[in-house]
Amino acid sequence: MPERPAVLVPVRVLAGESIPEGVPELLAHAHVVLLGVHVIPEQTAPGQARMQFEERGNRKLDEYEAVFEDAGATVERRLVFTHEAQQTVDRMIYEHDCLAVLVPNATSAPEEVLVPVRGTVGIDRLATVVAGLFGPTDAAVTLYHVVGPEETDEDVTVLLEGLSDRLTEAGLPADRIHTATASPEDTVDAIAAMAEDFDAVVMGETDPSLTTYLFGMPADAVADQFLGPVLVVQRERPDDAETAPE
Amino acid sequence: MPDGVATGENVEGERPEDEPRADRDAVTEHDEDVQLERTIGLVGGLAIGVGTMIGAGIFVFPGLAAANAGPAAAISFAVGGVIALLVALPTAELATAMPRSGGGYYFISRCLGTAGGAIVGLGLWLGLVFASAFYLVGLGHYVTAVLAEVGVTLPVSPVIPVGLVFAVLLTALSILGTENTAALQNVIVGLLLLILGLFLTFGVLDALGVFGRATAPQQLFPRGYFPVLSTAALVFTSYLGFAQVATVAGEIKRPARNLPQAMVGSVVLVTVFYVVTIFVATSSFGADKLGTFGETAMVEVARNLLGLPGAVAILLAGLLATFSSANASILSASRSVYALSRDALLPRRASRVNLRWGTPHVALLAAGGPIVVLVATGQVEVLAEVASFLHLVMYGLICIALLAVRRRDPGWYDPSFRTPGSPVLPAVGALASFALIAFMRGASIAIGVIIMVLSYVWYRYYAGTVRLRGEV
Repeated sequence: MPERPAVLVPVRVLAGESIPEGVPELLAHAHVVLLGVHVIPEQTAPGQARMQFEERGNRKLDEYEAVFEDAGATVERRLVFTHEAQQTVDRMIYEHDCLAVLVPNATSAPEEVLVPVRGTVGIDRLATVVAGLFGPTDAAVTLYHVVGPEETDEDVTVLLEGLSDRLTEAGLPADRIHTATASPEDTVDAIAAMAEDFDAVVMGETDPSLTTYLFGMPADAVADQFLGPVLVVQRERPDDAETAPE
Repeated sequence: MPDGVATGENVEGERPEDEPRADRDAVTEHDEDVQLERTIGLVGGLAIGVGTMIGAGIFVFPGLAAANAGPAAAISFAVGGVIALLVALPTAELATAMPRSGGGYYFISRCLGTAGGAIVGLGLWLGLVFASAFYLVGLGHYVTAVLAEVGVTLPVSPVIPVGLVFAVLLTALSILGTENTAALQNVIVGLLLLILGLFLTFGVLDALGVFGRATAPQQLFPRGYFPVLSTAALVFTSYLGFAQVATVAGEIKRPARNLPQAMVGSVVLVTVFYVVTIFVATSSFGADKLGTFGETAMVEVARNLLGLPGAVAILLAGLLATFSSANASILSASRSVYALSRDALLPRRASRVNLRWGTPHVALLAAGGPIVVLVATGQVEVLAEVASFLHLVMYGLICIALLAVRRRDPGWYDPSFRTPGSPVLPAVGALASFALIAFMRGASIAIGVIIMVLSYVWYRYYAGTVRLRGEV
């Protein structure tokens, strides 16, 4: 039995967000870090919002916690009042060693999972999440690589077979692993189009760069186009990183 | 964190909220996995401190101060800066031990008792209201100067109407605005410091005769020594900002490091800017002539040094600075109302968060409403002095609170920053704060004392049985 991968599930509990259908099944074999986050404007002190909303937020979280536990997940939860949702999400990822963050969208019980693979960076973490979540289920996993202009067939084979082997070692039977490649112009569009036939997407986070600064993270772009849930596998955080930069 | 259990309830049967369980670098933790994220960094803290202070000291006071004290007004600002620093150090120590919203009110209520805390807390709220009204009247003067510059003449002075419009506008914006303006505040403060830095560098070089122009020769103390101190009392409103950093102490990241640096740093920074500004201003014109320019004297100084572009830059900076000072004060006043209401010294509903906008509309109105009334008086100097009075009382008591808590040394008291020179420097800080009050005009002292008495009466009537944690 592989260790349960920790997956962060952020929910804006007081803004009417809830856990979409199919998500508890998707994360049945995860250690769910359930983050109820309430974002407040700067005119409001976080403690002020807490006085008024703590009870309601906790009631919602009780409900969601039960849903995840009924599906089979282990759950840890926090209710956080914050001015900056992203800072809170980053801190939770770090403090709870979350391998992946869920962008929640409704789905059916996961039978077909798409795993876009960019390169070898972070492939261990990707394998841990995919094998941990889907090894114990019947879901089929398709490893998908968008081939770049400078890659040879051999490069691609090495990449996909390497990941395949890791998944098998980690407990995902080889007969449930498929591979696919394509070489279109736009990676995000290709992944989103491909994903239409799948129940969920698991993909790696991109290192921040000027491109991601200008156009956003590819994972977020995929999540916007694909209407199902996307698990974003996080980059490794350096151990000595500050939980609260600056 | 203060221990013991808060007891008692107010006349509505509300009890003080429980204290959080732990303070960490990034969050404040309550029971049951409930956390409050800390989101303000060192830059944000400095921007609150500097942004609140710099509007008044540079853009409103130079003319008034020069009229009162002559070129020695620079010394008045230095005296104010030294007193502010003497208080900022103990405040920083207390804030690192108790990084909670409410600042001075919180420290005094936990170290000196609930009654003292209530007087200071209500005084802090109203002190910020007076300060904000003062900044808005200053803003009115700047808008008037802009109108004069573009050649618009009006039958009545637009100073007070403009102040009123902005008071209403700011209150409405703070209630309705959900855009995050913290980043904007940082940019405004950075821009201000840049404009002022360039302007003052040029001014100092000019005053030292580098450009070969004559400076106005004059006597340092044309009216003797007393006006230096009474002017220090008047301009002390320019040093209220570091306490505003403490009012958001509960939201500052890494409080052990950032709180002391933001408070002490902002005081030192603005003191240097103030003293240099007065030096440049009085060198440029001579104190007597400067005094005749009133609230917007700096515009004339800039015009004299750099011509029309200089005047325009300083006008623009003055608008930004007085606006951001007024805005920061309204937000701090609302935080003070929240802190009092959390401790059942004001009705709990005073800190209600509006469901539609997520903002504390009652607390913001409790700041904006009285500000409108005060702006209508248009009394720049009295508004400034009452604001200073109420803050100085708090500052003196903060120093005493530090001495008291250090002497008692309860188990929860574990500051990560320790004031140097205790007990002498905090004692001097307390005495200096109270002494400065004596140099104010009678009307300001009377208004301040009445507010304190009413605060105490309110406490006895409304929450006389409430005893907050940490008291012994």
